[in-house]
Amino acid sequence: MTINFDAIQVGDAIPAFTAPPITRTQLVRYAGASGDFNPLHHDETFAKMIGMDHVIAHGMFIMGIAGEAITSWIDNKYLRRFSVHFLSMTQPVNLDDFENTKGRATITVSGKVIEKYEENGEKRVRCEIIAQDAQGSRKLSGFFVVALP
Amino acid sequence: MADKSKLGIEFPLYSLKVEENKIAEFAAAVAQKEDKDHIKAIYRDVDAAKNAGYENIPVPPTFPTSFVFWTGGGLLDIVNLVGADLSKLLHSEEDYEYFTPICAGDVITCKMRVADMYDRGKKEKKGRYAQVTILETELINQRGELVLKARTTFMER
Repeated sequence: MTINFDAIQVGDAIPAFTAPPITRTQLVRYAGASGDFNPLHHDETFAKMIGMDHVIAHGMFIMGIAGEAITSWIDNKYLRRFSVHFLSMTQPVNLDDFENTKGRATITVSGKVIEKYEENGEKRVRCEIIAQDAQGSRKLSGFFVVALP
Repeated sequence: MADKSKLGIEFPLYSLKVEENKIAEFAAAVAQKEDKDHIKAIYRDVDAAKNAGYENIPVPPTFPTSFVFWTGGGLLDIVNLVGADLSKLLHSEEDYEYFTPICAGDVITCKMRVADMYDRGKKEKKGRYAQVTILETELINQRGELVLKARTTFMER
């Protein structure tokens, strides 16, 4: 689906996007796919050695989920910029305590249109984007720019 | 402690071919899907990709992270080279600028350099002080076109 520049207004919300709770298995899958084998993301003994209770998700995994949110709305080929600050760590769900830990591992991405402008001969739209867990803890914030027909 | 003498160094150039299966694997990982059949069609089916206006199967927006650090021995060796302590290192920012879509079959050459190193805050003030290292990578395709610029910021507390 292609969205036209004229159909978008400043202040419009981007469609909210919620990913399934992140499991340790998915952290391992992401580590393999991305090549980021920092042991902090899969080896609980390393996490404890540096004073953390659990392994944590790769920041880039959360950015990847935010990328899924963007490209569920606007085709990849229109993306011109995607820039984020990482704000806090994400712990995966504990399978032996799923109900109590799924909130911290469930990422929702939201955002809104903040600017419409022309640049490099293209009609561009700048949007802010935020990813947070179900407890309201912000994981990343930033912006993306798309060029639309 | 980050070694500021490394500011400005350029890592060895390297090239790689973007492979269909790697795209599918990465797309499945970020979409939290179990297999290739459940990812978006443009990431696994060349006809769907062409119908959507791509030359071949495109990559997800953050896919370049799967290979930009494949220089100088990989991410952990890069961390060692800039003198950072892995146990204190945080990835604090990531910034991508997209110029041309990257698709399966493209041969991408990566040029990475240490673009900036500086101290944030004052050493006496715990919590705020951090040593910042910024890596910049330019990705150039087989036609010599700049396809993407990536800027990765690490903080060592």
